[in-house]
Amino acid sequence: MVEPAGKRILVVDDASLVRRFYREALERAGFEVDEALNGVEAVEKVLGGIYDLVVVDVNMPQMDGLTFLKVLRRQATAVSSLPALVISTEAAAQDAAAARAAGANFYLVKPVSQEWLVEHVSIMCGRPA
Amino acid sequence: MPLVRRPSPPFEPSAAAPVSLTEGTSDQRWAAVRAAATRPDGVALLAAALPQERDPRVLEAIFTALARVATAESAAAVAPFIRSDDASLRAAALDALRAMPEASRPHVARLLADPDPDVRLLSCELARGLPEGEANRLLSALIDGEAEKNVVAAAVEVLAEVGRPEVLAALARCAERFAGDPFLAFSIKVATDRIGEP
Amino acid sequence: MSELPAVSEEEFRKVCDFLYRRTGMLFTEAKRYYVQRRIAERMASLGISVFATYFAYLRGDADGEIEKFVNAFTVNETYFYREEHQLRCLSSDLLNERVRAKRPGEALRIWSVPCSTGEEPYSIALWLLENWPAVDVQDIEIVGSDIDTECLAAARHGEFGQRALMRLTPELIAKYFVESAHERWRIVEDLRQSVQFTTANLMDPAETRRHGIFDVIFCRNVLIYFDDASRRLAAENLFECLAPGGFICLGHTESMSRISPLFEVRRFADAIVYQRPKGGVRG
Repeated sequence: MVEPAGKRILVVDDASLVRRFYREALERAGFEVDEALNGVEAVEKVLGGIYDLVVVDVNMPQMDGLTFLKVLRRQATAVSSLPALVISTEAAAQDAAAARAAGANFYLVKPVSQEWLVEHVSIMCGRPA
Repeated sequence: MPLVRRPSPPFEPSAAAPVSLTEGTSDQRWAAVRAAATRPDGVALLAAALPQERDPRVLEAIFTALARVATAESAAAVAPFIRSDDASLRAAALDALRAMPEASRPHVARLLADPDPDVRLLSCELARGLPEGEANRLLSALIDGEAEKNVVAAAVEVLAEVGRPEVLAALARCAERFAGDPFLAFSIKVATDRIGEP
Repeated sequence: MSELPAVSEEEFRKVCDFLYRRTGMLFTEAKRYYVQRRIAERMASLGISVFATYFAYLRGDADGEIEKFVNAFTVNETYFYREEHQLRCLSSDLLNERVRAKRPGEALRIWSVPCSTGEEPYSIALWLLENWPAVDVQDIEIVGSDIDTECLAAARHGEFGQRALMRLTPELIAKYFVESAHERWRIVEDLRQSVQFTTANLMDPAETRRHGIFDVIFCRNVLIYFDDASRRLAAENLFECLAPGGFICLGHTESMSRISPLFEVRRFADAIVYQRPKGGVRG
């Protein structure tokens, strides 16, 4: 597998165990990982740091994933085009459509395995999985 | 020196607080809602305003006011909104209940047994604020009977923080039932490792 | 001296997860040794030998344990020009934006709350005099408030020791302070007169409201230690005291993500700050 060479991923989910599940898989695959537990924190981190991709859960308190995405896409700087992988419990087509409308690049439905996550993140970061 | 100036006299805020929580601009309703928290009839007013309010900031203020009051009555006014079709209302109701753990306590067992899996899922978070023995008892009973993976995941997330040895058996049974789910296997293992510490 | 109790991997993780959720402070692998030692120190200090007992104590925030735990990782003493990057942001960006919203002759109002013994509001005054070109043409009102009347008395008196002045150059000290006692310096009368000190309890809307409307509020390192309901209330009270488009600055380890959704995040070159939305309704 090609080394992702320092690609930084922001993992956003309100559950600590989900963040840990994703983090361990991504770090094993050579990515650098940071985390946030709601949309407000995710906005702060994205504005304050440099990331190559954000993985964001839809359902979070304070600010949910789609609202975060809309805020992200409204920014005046380069962060507005940060690639976003949205993860949701909802499998309906309208939920995927809503996510795309909010600015998601990719939409996955839980359960998301570690392999599946790494594969998608790798592709989105421009590296073969 | 340019900053030297006579300090302005203390501000006297304009007259009486607005009365109606449902009329006027959103700023006016916001102010009325905040003032309602300290009124004797406040909870009734706030509860009546909840179903019709659409402005997110005013809604947030209603929930904050009810959480400040933190009585059985105010918790009872919030609890039904955990069932709302609107995801943000559900989340706001949960946050308000979380902010008044004592007042919410009587509702948790019932919410964890709700027929709606979304309600059960959100209510796992409320178990975090319960006394540990009660939290363990309720979450243990929940996971033993729970068919929905997402609800189990939410319960295990809380048990990873509050879990005690008495839930280990239920966790083990869960691990067997959901052996095919990599995330659940992972999280049950973490919770088990944490609880099993001597 | 008896050995400090050992702390295991998952015990370390439990504490990290809990503190991250409550305060937003993220303790990474790099901090492992320090966190484990801190846990052990707190347990020893409290006479607790079983981790589970300590963790329950921490979770319940008994006797302000969260703040006590976290104290080892933050610099809590107050001194002049603390978090200078926020002062830079104030003079480079925040005030210039607020000036555009002002009517001619209307003062810019800045609030430091809690102000403790005055280092923060006086720092703001000093900084603006030294770094903001418009300070000569724009009226500025600085208010410092605290719940502690002894702190306020000390602030009004305006005398400080060496440690409080450690970030100031000798030139600044010579310009704005007078040595009033051995290794004590008193800020000059003009500056003492330029800050108004008041009592305020952040949890009481009546007390916050009577201070009027501000353009910038500094509220650092206090909100994060309140419980959920109190944080939300304090955030509302501060929101009410901010002009639409006004800014609020928190302590650098704090985040509105743990406090309230009322404010919008704004990123400037020197700092991330929070803004009351300009319109009447939050979008």
